[in-house]
Parts: sequence; C-alpha cells; structure tokens
Amino acid sequence: MPGQDGLWYKDAVIYQVHVRAFYDSSGDGNGDFRGLAQKLDYLQDLGINAIWLMPFFPSPLRDDGYDISDYRSVNPTYGTLDDFKAFLAAAHQRNIRVIIEMVLNHTSDQHPWFQESRSSRDNLKRDWYVWSDTDSKYKGTRIIFLDTELSNWAWDPVSKQYYWHRFFGHQPDLNYDNPQVRDEMWSIMKFWLEMGVDGFRLDAVPYLLEREGTNCENLPETHGVIRELRARVDKEFPGRMLLAEANQWPADLSAYFGSGDEFHMAFHFPLMPRMFMGVKLEDRKPITEILKQTPSIPDPCQWCLFLRNHDELTLEMVTDMERDYMYDEYAKEKGMRLNLGIRRRLAPLLDNDRRKIELMNGMLMSLPGTPIIYYGDEIGMGDNVNLGDRNGVRTPMQWSGGWNGGFSEADPEMLYSPLMLNPVYGYQVINVYSQKRFDHSLLSWMKRLIRIKKTNPVLGRGSIEFLYPANHRVLAYTRKLGNETILVVNNLSSKAQAVELDLKNYRGNILVEMFGRNIFPRIGELPYLLTLGPYQFYWFRLRRI
Amino acid sequence: MPEGSILSDDFIRELINVGEVDIVVGVPTHNDARTVGQVVQAVRAGLLKYFPRERTAIVNADGGSRDHTQDLIRAASISDLNVASNVHALRTLHSISTQYPGGQSSGAALHTILAAADLLQAKACAVVSPDSTSLDPEWVERLLRPLLRDGKDLILPVYRRHKFDGLLIRNLVYPMTRAVYGCPVREPYPADYAFSASLGSQLLAQDIWTQEQGRTGTELWMALTAIVNRCKLAQAFLGTKARKEDAPADLVKAMRETAGTIFLSLDSYYSAWSSPREPLEAPCIGCQPTVSLEPTRLNRKRLYDMFKFGVSELEPVFFSILSTATHEELKRLAGMSEDDFSYSADLWARTVYEFAGAYHKAVIGRDHVVQALVPLFRGRAFTFLTENRDTSAEQVENNLDALCQSFEREKPHLLEQWAERK
Amino acid sequence: MWKNFIGEMARTMDEMLTNFARFLPRFLEMLALVVIGWLIAFVLRALLRSILKLTRFDKLSEHTGAAPLLRGAALPSPTEILSRFVFWVAWLGFILVGINTLGIAGLEENITDFFGFLPRLFAALFILFFGLLAASFFSRAVLIRGVNAELPSPRLISWAVRTMIILFVASMAFEELRIGSHTVIVAFALTFGALMLGLALAFGLGGRDLARRYLERRFAREQGAEQESREREDELSPL
Repeated sequence: MPGQDGLWYKDAVIYQVHVRAFYDSSGDGNGDFRGLAQKLDYLQDLGINAIWLMPFFPSPLRDDGYDISDYRSVNPTYGTLDDFKAFLAAAHQRNIRVIIEMVLNHTSDQHPWFQESRSSRDNLKRDWYVWSDTDSKYKGTRIIFLDTELSNWAWDPVSKQYYWHRFFGHQPDLNYDNPQVRDEMWSIMKFWLEMGVDGFRLDAVPYLLEREGTNCENLPETHGVIRELRARVDKEFPGRMLLAEANQWPADLSAYFGSGDEFHMAFHFPLMPRMFMGVKLEDRKPITEILKQTPSIPDPCQWCLFLRNHDELTLEMVTDMERDYMYDEYAKEKGMRLNLGIRRRLAPLLDNDRRKIELMNGMLMSLPGTPIIYYGDEIGMGDNVNLGDRNGVRTPMQWSGGWNGGFSEADPEMLYSPLMLNPVYGYQVINVYSQKRFDHSLLSWMKRLIRIKKTNPVLGRGSIEFLYPANHRVLAYTRKLGNETILVVNNLSSKAQAVELDLKNYRGNILVEMFGRNIFPRIGELPYLLTLGPYQFYWFRLRRI
Repeated sequence: MPEGSILSDDFIRELINVGEVDIVVGVPTHNDARTVGQVVQAVRAGLLKYFPRERTAIVNADGGSRDHTQDLIRAASISDLNVASNVHALRTLHSISTQYPGGQSSGAALHTILAAADLLQAKACAVVSPDSTSLDPEWVERLLRPLLRDGKDLILPVYRRHKFDGLLIRNLVYPMTRAVYGCPVREPYPADYAFSASLGSQLLAQDIWTQEQGRTGTELWMALTAIVNRCKLAQAFLGTKARKEDAPADLVKAMRETAGTIFLSLDSYYSAWSSPREPLEAPCIGCQPTVSLEPTRLNRKRLYDMFKFGVSELEPVFFSILSTATHEELKRLAGMSEDDFSYSADLWARTVYEFAGAYHKAVIGRDHVVQALVPLFRGRAFTFLTENRDTSAEQVENNLDALCQSFEREKPHLLEQWAERK
Repeated sequence: MWKNFIGEMARTMDEMLTNFARFLPRFLEMLALVVIGWLIAFVLRALLRSILKLTRFDKLSEHTGAAPLLRGAALPSPTEILSRFVFWVAWLGFILVGINTLGIAGLEENITDFFGFLPRLFAALFILFFGLLAASFFSRAVLIRGVNAELPSPRLISWAVRTMIILFVASMAFEELRIGSHTVIVAFALTFGALMLGLALAFGLGGRDLARRYLERRFAREQGAEQESREREDELSPL
C-alpha cells in the first residue's frame, strides 16, 4: 500500500530550500534553522511532504556551501546542531521528511583533511585526494565550470603538485580509490542518519573516480562505490533514500539505479530544458523524444523531476542547435548565461505568464517522477541577474510586504543578499502573506494542485503511455496504476487549439475533470475532440459506470 | 465535402493539426511518383537547413494520382512518431496531402495551396514543381528569404536554360509582359515561385477560380496581377531547370495557357497597361548567365512546313483576325523558301497584337483565336532558331532584347486595335 | 318584251346595288385593316430593327457566314432584311385578314392555312439561323484543329463538316415546313450514310497502317517507350 511499502519517495512532493534564504529568526540577516522550524506550518499548509535542504555545513561559502569544511557540524550562521535536531523533530511531527545534501565528490580546500593532505607528500591523508606531478593526466575530461575554470588540475604551491578538482579550484576531489575515504564518508552519512535524516542528495556522483583513457564520468568503479553505500544504508537504515545528482544523458543516468541496488532516485536532467523548449517551440517533440529515449528503471526506483533549482538551468544535455535556440529565446542578455546554462528563476523564464507557470507545474506533477518545487517558485518569485554566479536565484524568501519582505528583522544592509525590489517581482508585490488572502493567487492554486497530486498515487507511481495526436502542439498521455487511469492533456501553445485524441482503448469511459470534478462526454468510437485555451491543461480521471 | 469548397473535411482536420506556421511549401502533383520523392526530400532539407526555427509545413495538392505520389509526400513528415535517426530537427514538420476535386488542373492545385496557406496563416508560401529534379535545398532559401527578410511580395525564378528551351516564353510571354505591362520578368509563367501572405490573400479573394484563368495559366495570371497591382517583385536565380523527359509538348495547350491568359488579362487590366506607367522593377537576386548552349536535337524544318501549311489552310480564319497588311505580309512570307524565310520581330509583334485585338472583340470564338496563333508561332520559332543557331549566349540575350524592343515599339498598334475594335 | 328587258335590267341593277351595298362595308373594313396593318407592320419593323441593332444581330450573323453572302449579292444587311421580312409578313397577314372579312368562300380555308403556316415558318428560320451558326463554328474548329494536328487537307474536312451540318439543318427546316419532308429525309439519310460508309472504307482499308501506328504510339507511350515519337517531336519544351 502506498506510503506503507517503504517507497515514500514515490509519493513525495519535495520542497527544495536553503536554510539561509528562508527565514531569519536571530536578526543577523541570515536565515537559520530556528526560523525554518517556525515556517514548517506554512510548508505543511502548502502540502509538501519532504524538504530537501541545501548544504548547511561549515564552509568558506565560496560555492554556496558545496565547499564543505566540516561534515559533522552546522554552519554557526544557521544555528547549532541542536537547532537542527529540533527542526528535524518538528518536521517529522508534521509528517514532513527531511533530505539533506551530502557532497561526496570533493571538500573545501579549507577542510582539515585537505590542509593535512597538502602539508606534505608523506602525510597520512595525502592519498585522500588525487595528486599528480603533471596536469596532463586524464586528458579529455570536460570542464564543468567553463566560465571560471581553465583546467581540472590546480597547482598546489605548498606541496608542489597538482591536485584534481572537477569543480572550482578550491574544491579538491576526494580519492575514492582509497578505502579510508569511503569508510569515512560512510561514517559521516551514518552520523546524520542516526540523527533521523530521511535521505541524502548525493552531489556530483558521476565524478567520484577517475581512470586514464576515459572521460572520468560514470565509471564502473564509481557505480561500485555507490552500490557499497547503498548496501550499507539498506542494512542499517532501511527506508532511507539516496537521490543522485548526475547531469547525464538518460542512458547513462539510468545506470545509477543499477538493478535497484544503487540510487533510489535520480534527477531527470535532460527532460527539464526540453520542457522549456517545448513550451517555447509550441511543439511537444523535444519532450516526447527525450522520454522515449529514457530507458525503464527498476520498480522501486523513481525519477526526480524539477523545473528550476539553485543552479543554472543547465543546457549541457542538449544539442548545439537546441542550446542556441534556448539561449536566444530564454536568455537574450548575455548576463543571464552561465556555464552552458541559464541562471533565471521560473517566473521570469516564463515571462511571468500565470498560465505558462500553471502549465509547467501541471506537467511537473503529472509526468512520471517525484516533483521538486524550488522555494519561492510557489509564489512566483523573480531573480536578480546582477548578483554573481548563481546567486540571482537565491534571494531571500518573500513573506510579506513589510520590513525586509518579512524575512528578517535585521537592517536591510545586513542581509546575506539584497531583496527583490522591482515593481514586478519585488517583495511588496510577490509575497506569501498577500497570496494567502486570495483563492486565485498562484500560491492557492499550487496548494490545490499539490493536494490533487498527493491524493492520486497514480501520478507518482503509475506507468505512462503517450498519445500522439496529429496536433503537435498538444502533449497528451495516460497514467495507469492498477484500475486507475488518468488522462493528461497539455496545450503547449499560446493559442487556442483543437485536438482529436485516439482513445479507442478507453471506449465507454466517462471523463471526469479532476480540478472541478465535472464530467465530460463519454469516450465513443470516434476520435475524442477537445479544445484547449492557451497553455491550458486537463487532468481527467477515466471512470466507467 | 460541402458544395463549392475545394477543401475536404479531412483536409481541414489535417490543417487544424498543422496549426499556425511561418512557411508553407506547396507541391502540386499528378502521378509524379517518379520524381516527387526526390523533390520533397530536397525541400525538407532546405527547410531544416535554412529555416530550422521557423514553423514550416509542406502541402501537396494532388489532382487524382493513381501511383503513390501522395504517400511519398506524407513520408517527408518529421514528428515524434516517426523520427529517423539521421534527421535532426528542432520542430515537428507536417507534410500533408489532399486531392482536390474536378481532375487535374494547375489552377485548382494553386487554389488549394493558397487556401491552405491562408488558413495556416503562413507569412510566406513557396510553390515548387514536382518534376524539378534539379531542385536543391538552396532553392528554398532563395525563394523564401526575400519574402521574409526583405518584405517582397512575389519571387519569380530565373533559370539557366538551353537557349532554345521555353521558346513560347521567350518569344511571346516575356516580351509581352515586358512591353505591355512594363515589367521585365524572365519567367512570368513560373513553375517554382514564392509569394507573401498579402499577395496570397489578394489572389484567393479574386473571382477567377470558377473561370478559365482559375483552371489553367493561373500562375501567369498571378504574376500579371502582381505586376498590375505594383507589388514588390524580385527574381531569384535558381540554377539549371530540369527538362521534362516524358510527354512531348502540346503546343495548343501551351498556347491556351499563355497567350489565352495574357489576352484575357488585357481585358481585365486595360486601365493598367493602356496608360503610361513607370516600369516595375524586378531585381534579380544572385543572377548568373542564364543561357546554356549544349547542342541539342531539333526539328526545324517541321516548324517551317507547319507555318506554311497553317497560313494557307487557315486563310479564312486569318482574314477575320488580321489586318490586310499583316495578312498579306504573312502570305508573302509563306511563299518564301526555307533559306530566305525570316519572320521579323516587328511583324511578329504586330501579329500578336492583332490577335490580342481579335480576342478582345471575339470576332470568332476566343479559343479559336488562340489556337489559330499556333502555326504562326511555329514560323516565328523557326526564325528564332535560325537567328540563334550559332550565336554566343550574349548574342542570344541581345536578340531577345531586340525582340522585346519590337514589342515595345509596336505597343501603339495594340492600343489602336483596342480602340478600333471598340 | 322591251318592258320585260328593262324590268329585268332594273331588277339586276337592283340586285347588283344591293350586293354592292352589302359588299361595300366589308370592303371598307378590308381597306381599314390594310391601312392599320401597314401601320402596325411599320412599327414592328422599326421595333425589330432597334432590337436587332441593340443585340448586334449583324455581328452575330457575321459568324454564320450569311452576312458576307448577302454583301456579295449586294443585298442589305441581315438586320435590314429581317426587319423588312417581318414588315411584309405582318402586312400580308393583315391583308389576308382583310380579304377574309370579304367572306369570299374558298379563300377562308387558304387564309387559315397561311396563318397556320406562319409559326412553322418562323421555327424553320430559327433552326436555319442557329444551324448556320453551328456549322460555321464547328467547321472553323475542325479547320484549326486539323491544321494544328497536321491532318492532311483540313480545309476539305472543314468543308465536309460545314456541309453536313447545313444539310442536316436544312432537312430539319424542311421537315418543320412540311415541304417534301420524306424526300428530303431520305435524301439526307442516303447522303449521310454514303459519306459515312465511304469514310469507314477509306479509314478502315487505307488508314489501317496509320491507325495501327497511332495505337502503338499511344499504348507504348503509356508504358514508357517513346522512340517513335522522339523522331518526330522536338526535344525541348515551349514553356
């Protein structure tokens, strides 16, 4: 039975949040765990049932916390370990699970391990990182942060060798060929699991291991490490979940599920830019094609779907022609482009068009996978492209139209990031308080959407079958689980459309529209004619009476 | 299908599925399975290469093919249902086909394509001939780019053709269009061309579709309409024109389509050509030398014989049509030997104009007027072939120019014909 | 005896005068009808002339070939002729009606016959006129087509077509007038039949080869073999 079979993540609606950006209870200009705990009621009301926290470990914050200098503690800016435990308990009380980050691939160069490792070539922890005399090893490995890094090797002036880093130069890669490293990382994960954390998002997993003559991604050895971790989790903490962050093509991605013995979930990276492409092209082709190319995964496993996140909207997994198109359509200003991606939030990407936002969220909730909502997107927050790196999409949560948007009582100048101020996306216009008052606000609509999603497990767990109506502007598919069938019809076009669906296999069913619960005509012999307004979508339950 | 409609219900349904597009490429066919597959693939390649982001569709108007012409067209679709692994397209490309009623007719095919382009709100529409086997993807770009980028209304083709190919166009249609309508377009009766949405709507709204010019010679009518309405014309150089390989030319049919259409247009557009007007420019984009000189097999003597035969046998008919002077001149010409024979440009221009006048006043049945011109044209063709037998490409062009000037010089004669016949 | 003679004479004179007196009103009636008839016929002629001029009857007649014939015979134009014809027919009609009122026995039947004849006369003229038009049109069509198709002697064929149609139309007209209809029909049938038989023999025997070649060419072309046609036709397209 859903919810009781240990596969809770298949029914989850995940909320991605950065503790620093959510709510400041201490008045120092930074969000903290006590503040986050205070806002759990809001999240419960929204309807989400899992939170994914971005890294909150001690860190020099040169990569927004993904450069970790202490794995078993909490960054004092966000509170103490006890604050975290209190938050965890409060979340569990509200039946909200908590997923935290675990950056396996690399640490900060400020981490004591690296400080030791680099101190001399004979140090005991020397082998915890990947060192080399030359920077010509592992040639052909692509650079991920193209805008800032010129090489995957960095010269260490202290020990006079090169060290390997797939990300920023200040994030040296750990050496997973060293069993000590593997044991230590497990011990860290165990630390958090024992505390009660429900799962980990494992960052940058494709890059754990390197081998000469390969592209150093998705190596079998890497999968070996993951299987080992998974086995340990299953043995000692059954029911906890591992989520892979692997920005790869579907064929490579599905490898991370193994045969059900690696990750429970993985982000479907290639789908996300194609959803945006489909809406802009007004053509379902990019979406159906990528899903056709997506191999099936083991039964207990699940894709994770998202529209936006804390990173840039990545265009790594598209062709050059598609990337150029996305740049020209979605990132007209060069400043919006970063590292083969686009650093904008959902609402600005969709021209703040309410209908488009609803359509995209509707697809997010109805395509096969677990949806993740990025904090602030439920109220339609905007972005600030003038902030460096990806910080434009990490501005403070907008709670009200008052002081600091209700985020903090500190002086505005003390905030970790400037607030959104413009008349379109500013906190006076876009905030939780005002949207709560109206039934027609985006927030209220999102709540309804999430409620319908949660009450229909077929959306989380069911199979998918695409209908291919001749009108290519309409994306239509059925979701099936047991006796339940849901028909989803999406109009990707900005103009009204008529579409005829071949529903012969479902002849005799009455369609019940799931938002209003009104009935639509019964399916007969002839193609089923539907008309849709601009960007409109339908969810129909098929009922046979 | 409802009465009087050229679009069937099924086709309308297909158009709904195609939806709004930026570009339509129309292909009129009738039993063209031998060549249309290649043509449509080249068109598709052109669209993918030069217009990858535009919404495009290929629309086939078929006159009742019994071979698998329509299947070949439909096979060019690109969709998420039938993606070939070697085709990389950003978007879906619909390639749809319909059969228009009433049997094969180029006018009905054009009507169907116009209607489809209009319903699909296409900004630009190109039409290509299903036997243009020399079509390469660049043609698509050359025909459509000036419409989309430069705001042109009609793009007519310019081909590299053998100097003796298209004699009727060279000796009658082109000179008349240039002299009477003041627009020097080389191919006023095009097989491959493109037009803008606004010109398309204008044509669609005209009341010609149930009449003769809506069934044959419609492309020529379209070009003349565009010229008369002072639309923005341009010519695009397309390269070598593929030669038709089967069915020998039916000159009577060709004469009906060309002379018949032009003569009819003189009635409708009298106010446009009868008063002096600024000549309409039609710049040529990417033009190169258009005359090729390979040796080719021709039966010249037959032309001479048929001219003589026609002049003698059709004397009572010519009596009704031509002025006495011209008629006498032709009889004298018919008495000449093959070596001395020369149907001068001036005489030919006068002949054509007098026929136009006779057509206008319907001194005999109009179709008979047009048919009677055929043997005389053969005489003119004979002279053209003789004059240009051993000439260079440049000389051919000069001779053609001289012919056009004759037509221009004799234009007052045409006006006289109109006045006296009135 | 002289008294008897004068008495007889007086009696005869009396009778004559009585008859005359009886006859005179009818005579005057007749005269009146003639005069009125002349007036009406005159108006009709003028009216018809205007109508025919308006509908350009002369031009139409050019097509039939009748106008050139009339011109050749130094006769006035078809409009004029028809108008005058109608004038005379109308006046004649009134004159006959007038004569009818005289009550001269024997004439009445003939006069009725005449009036019965008139509609058929007009019908026959109508058939003849349009028949001539058709003959002209079809003969010209055949002529031009024959020239363009390089048939031998197109003029002959054209003449034959014209003659056939005129004969056919003339026989229809005669039938309508009921003048020697049987004779004409039989003559027509004989001529037509003979002509057809002659053509069939000519084509059947003499044109055997031609027919065979034509069919071969036609059939072969549909199957893609075109050598024979190539020998005759030009390689290039006129368009």
